[in-house]
Amino acid sequence: MSLIAESIRVSYGRQEVLRGIDLTAQPGKVTAIVGPNGSGKSTLLGAITASLPFTGQVSLNGRDIGGMKPWELAAQRAVLPQQSRLAFPFTVIEVVRLGLQSGTAGDCPTVPMRALARVGLAHYAEREFHELSGGEAQRVMLARVLAQVWAPVEDGLPRWLLLDEPVSSLDIAHQLQVMQIARDFARAGGGVIAVMHDLNLTAIYADRVAILAEGRMLAFGTPCEVLTDDILSRAYGCDLRVSAPPQDGIPYILPHVASA
Amino acid sequence: MATLADTAAPSRDRFARARTLHWLLAGALILASITSLQVGATDVTLSAMLSKLAQGEALSHMERVVLIDIRLPRLAMGVLVGGALAVSGTVMQGLFRNPLADPGIVGISMTAGLGAIVSIVLGGLLPVWITGLTGNYLTPIAAFLFALGTTILLYRVSTRHGRTSVATMLLAGIALGALSGAASGVLVYMADDQQLRDLTFWQMGSLAGASWAKVLAATPLITLAIGAAMMLGRGLNGLALGEATAAHIGSDVQRMKSIAVLSVAGATGAAVAVSGGIGFVGIVVPHLLRLASGPDHRTLLPNAALLGATLLILADVIARVIIAPAELPIGIVTAILGAPVFLWILLTRRGLVEQ
Ligand SMILES: Nc1ncnc2c1ncn2[C@@H]1O[C@H](COP(=O)(O)OP(=O)(O)OP(=O)(O)O)[C@@H](O)[C@H]1O
Ligand SMILES: [Mg+2]
Repeated sequence: MSLIAESIRVSYGRQEVLRGIDLTAQPGKVTAIVGPNGSGKSTLLGAITASLPFTGQVSLNGRDIGGMKPWELAAQRAVLPQQSRLAFPFTVIEVVRLGLQSGTAGDCPTVPMRALARVGLAHYAEREFHELSGGEAQRVMLARVLAQVWAPVEDGLPRWLLLDEPVSSLDIAHQLQVMQIARDFARAGGGVIAVMHDLNLTAIYADRVAILAEGRMLAFGTPCEVLTDDILSRAYGCDLRVSAPPQDGIPYILPHVASA
Repeated sequence: MATLADTAAPSRDRFARARTLHWLLAGALILASITSLQVGATDVTLSAMLSKLAQGEALSHMERVVLIDIRLPRLAMGVLVGGALAVSGTVMQGLFRNPLADPGIVGISMTAGLGAIVSIVLGGLLPVWITGLTGNYLTPIAAFLFALGTTILLYRVSTRHGRTSVATMLLAGIALGALSGAASGVLVYMADDQQLRDLTFWQMGSLAGASWAKVLAATPLITLAIGAAMMLGRGLNGLALGEATAAHIGSDVQRMKSIAVLSVAGATGAAVAVSGGIGFVGIVVPHLLRLASGPDHRTLLPNAALLGATLLILADVIARVIIAPAELPIGIVTAILGAPVFLWILLTRRGLVEQ
């Protein structure tokens, strides 16, 4: 019961953006995808979520996603896109409820408010979504995604959160809060795949890290295994140094000591 | 600090309000229908006829003709056309995620207009057996066929690898609209005086030509299209978050878009075919309803059908009485009433448009 992507290739026109990626994400773990801008992280997530044409195979909890209906997929995984737009003046709570419309067993009326409370925005329920700040909007969208797969395990199957840069507009406190939500979801038996830019948050919260560069998987492993001077410097094309942690062995990267 | 129960209440109210609106609007539709049967160019009134019937008297021939052959079909057509225009506007806006989208915007009404003009100006060149077959309905039939053709063509052009690009569809619609506008212009040059008068009357839109035959011809298509549109509520809600997210929350987006396009073509084509170009209903009705009870398409679609029908009937009453015994084309009434509302919405709710 995991999420397995095998030899994923994606081309936009003649340009091949993903050149054969294999990725296995386990439930119970937070899997982070990192890599420079344009390396294909969002594209990989797009393939995993069947939102763009690709070659290769993706299986979710043992089933090929190619043979699954949209509502079956929606019952097992929720997707937070890198950018969210909203066309009509829905309120915050209405937006969160949109996530429930997949007709799954979890259509419980209290879930949207609990999801909003989880991201610390329960008191915003009646605000218009368009009036929110960038970070608030991002957290509301996360609440929508959480509401869609509220129970991390259902019918013995893990459910999945696929998050594209879930903390990109958040302040440091909310970055920690959102990463904690992701970790809690995984600890409760669900699976999480998160595209990340912040390597330190990745080091703290991810159980597995995939490093993408130019459409290939450069490294895959635990944070300690892959967040190394050599791999990071090659991935990002700048001289990065990973420091030794004072306690508990989590690597950290100070931009101060990097040279471009 | 508000409790969960407190904060959850008002939004349920907005949905509840939209539900209550179903009943209010249904009531308004009934009142408008009674008004529409009551007034007209002759001083035959519904109330007089009803009291006659109540006293066991028979209606005069003239009363029966006015009621059954003139006002009732006209009322039925108003309901059909108003509902069709408002619902196809709502579906179009949901599909294009733009509150200003309308069948007029993607060129469907323009090409329907071209179809009408072609039939009026060049209809004489058609073989007799065709004109004999279509009779007075040549113009509506041509308008309908052109509308349907455009929608299918637009859909083909903008769908690649099973995915419809809304942007391509919009731009192609603008191009097709411009093209048919130009073609119409050329044909107008070729028209004689009588044809020109037909053209302007048709272009402004009117329910004056209502007959049971037309109502019967339009009913199946319009009810089918509106019925199909009613199933799109959840899907269109999801589409507000973009096509990818709509799919992620469980919509079969391709299927939904096909149904949306077909229902718009059916409703707009049939409506334009029997009544000409009646504008603004499809844009103003959903706007007003969104202001009143929010953008949830599950309630917006049925409410749009009711309000569209009501407003069109009332506009038709105005068109009939304001310069009686002559009659104003209803398209002029909807434009005079609709355009300022539209502008007012633009000015007060810029957020609706600027994203
Ligand atoms: N719709 C598209 N058409 C053509 N090229 C695209 C399209 N979307 C992405 N690309 C290209 O594919 C490559 C990978 O894009 P992708 O969005 O996956 O990058 P990313 O790793 O998510 O980057 P970022 O960190 O900036 O979000 C980029 O070079 C991008 O220019
Ligand atoms: Mg990206």
